[in-house]
Amino acid sequence: MPHEATMSCGRDRALWAASQAAVWAVVLVFALILFDLLRHGLAGVSWSFLTEAPRSAGREGGIGSILVSTGLILFVALAATIPLGLCAAIAMAEWLPSRARFARFARMSLDVLSGMPSIVFGLFGNAFFSIYLGMGLSIWSGGLTLACMALPLFVRAAEEALRAVPESYRAGGDALGMSRTRTLLRIVLPAALPGIMAGIILAIGRALAETAALIFTSGYVGRMPGALSDSGRALSVHIYDLAMNVTGGAANAYASALTLIVLLILINGVAVWLTHHGLYRRLIKT
Amino acid sequence: MISRMVFMAGLLACVGLWTGCGRTDSESTRIVVTGSSTIAPMFGDMARHYESQHPGVRLDVQTGGSSRGIADARRGLADIGMVSRAAYEDEDDLVWHKNARDGIAMIVHADNPIREIDTDTVRAIYRKEIRRWSGLGGPDRPITVINKAEGRSTLDLFLAYTGLQSEEVQADVVIGDNEHGIQAVIGNPGAITYVSIGTAEYSVNEGRSLRLLPLDGIPATTERVRAGDYPLSRPLHLVTRPDPSEEVLRFIEFTQSAEAASIVEAHYFIPLSD
Repeated sequence: MPHEATMSCGRDRALWAASQAAVWAVVLVFALILFDLLRHGLAGVSWSFLTEAPRSAGREGGIGSILVSTGLILFVALAATIPLGLCAAIAMAEWLPSRARFARFARMSLDVLSGMPSIVFGLFGNAFFSIYLGMGLSIWSGGLTLACMALPLFVRAAEEALRAVPESYRAGGDALGMSRTRTLLRIVLPAALPGIMAGIILAIGRALAETAALIFTSGYVGRMPGALSDSGRALSVHIYDLAMNVTGGAANAYASALTLIVLLILINGVAVWLTHHGLYRRLIKT
Repeated sequence: MISRMVFMAGLLACVGLWTGCGRTDSESTRIVVTGSSTIAPMFGDMARHYESQHPGVRLDVQTGGSSRGIADARRGLADIGMVSRAAYEDEDDLVWHKNARDGIAMIVHADNPIREIDTDTVRAIYRKEIRRWSGLGGPDRPITVINKAEGRSTLDLFLAYTGLQSEEVQADVVIGDNEHGIQAVIGNPGAITYVSIGTAEYSVNEGRSLRLLPLDGIPATTERVRAGDYPLSRPLHLVTRPDPSEEVLRFIEFTQSAEAASIVEAHYFIPLSD
């Protein structure tokens, strides 16, 4: 028997070493990207870069108007995704029996949707929001197209989070004579909040990184948007254009990419902090 | 709960109000320009200049390729289309306004000992009749043929000049924008492709390792395109329907003016005026 023990011990060690190496590989990829962006982009980032409008097709000036457009597109996308997605997730996790044919069909369509290449969403958004609904190339159609992309991701994450809440919590609510809605709002949703927040972060990440879906929906106009019906260039579209179409745009492409990464890290940080310190505790107490 | 709902309703009302305000504000003329991604940054730049001089006019420049520029101008989705090539025969329903020129250079990696190329050789390489650089007196290395994606004006121009048919081309890699091509060649000493001369010259001046090959004995430089004797070059156009409005015409005149020529040069194209 001691032989077998050392065998499994050796196997344990190999597995441990392999997973350790995998973690380092992941960290290394992130570090390399960040290092490359910092090396090429840090010199270009300044307060005036973040606030000024782009000049000479983005080679000079800053990304002020681009950041505003990006924020507005993200706002429209989240304002559509969160209420719609949360309701869908509640329906699928709380009301529909998980084996019901309709629930299975809904889940399958969501999975197919979340694997769809983003250019397909771009073409759909252009045909449906921009042309059929007459929104044109605007922040509205860009944001709603992103919402279509982010919805499946968010619904699945929120549904999993709701399912992960122990059944005993719901039974406790019933035992106290609380209505199903009250149990949901006061007990189940707060308990599922960290998972739902993770879903929102995933949705924001997907939305901020998107280029292909936005070129044909929110468009290419680099001017400061005056309304949600204006076309506005998103940060990722700006980076792509600077890197690929503007000769001499590399320096500002790096600076813009660095800004995007920092923005993502900040949003992640705020969401994590909100989940653990702000919302979570307050909701549990009330 | 109620306070939160009131807050959300208020937020939505604010957004609605703001959107509404935007609509009433924009009584200015709006001109939509769509088309070639190669020249969209240049015309976007011109649009900002023009807007700063004419406060009542708003120019929305969108990208998407020359074909989209033509289609949008025809269907009236855009007032002006940007097209980075000459007109085809069946396209005379649109008015073509010439703006600038651009040359296309064959490029290889700087380590490649090949110093020039002629059209017959290009044709043989793109048909894979010559598969290794050794066949051209270079090192024994396979030739990586890089071609442009369907719908790109540079592809159309390249095919028209070399007389190659689209189906004949045996590409190893298919790319989109100029910068794609340059990066692909820098990363692969056996690669060959064709990109805008202005962009390639800029990259060489930046110290990136690529070489512009003289084509049929004529150096691939912006000077030779300007002089008019470099064979592989294209006009850059704005197109409109036959009856463009006053404002549209005024903007097109601006893009052809001496004032706009400096913007053309800033984007490494060759202005008309000289």
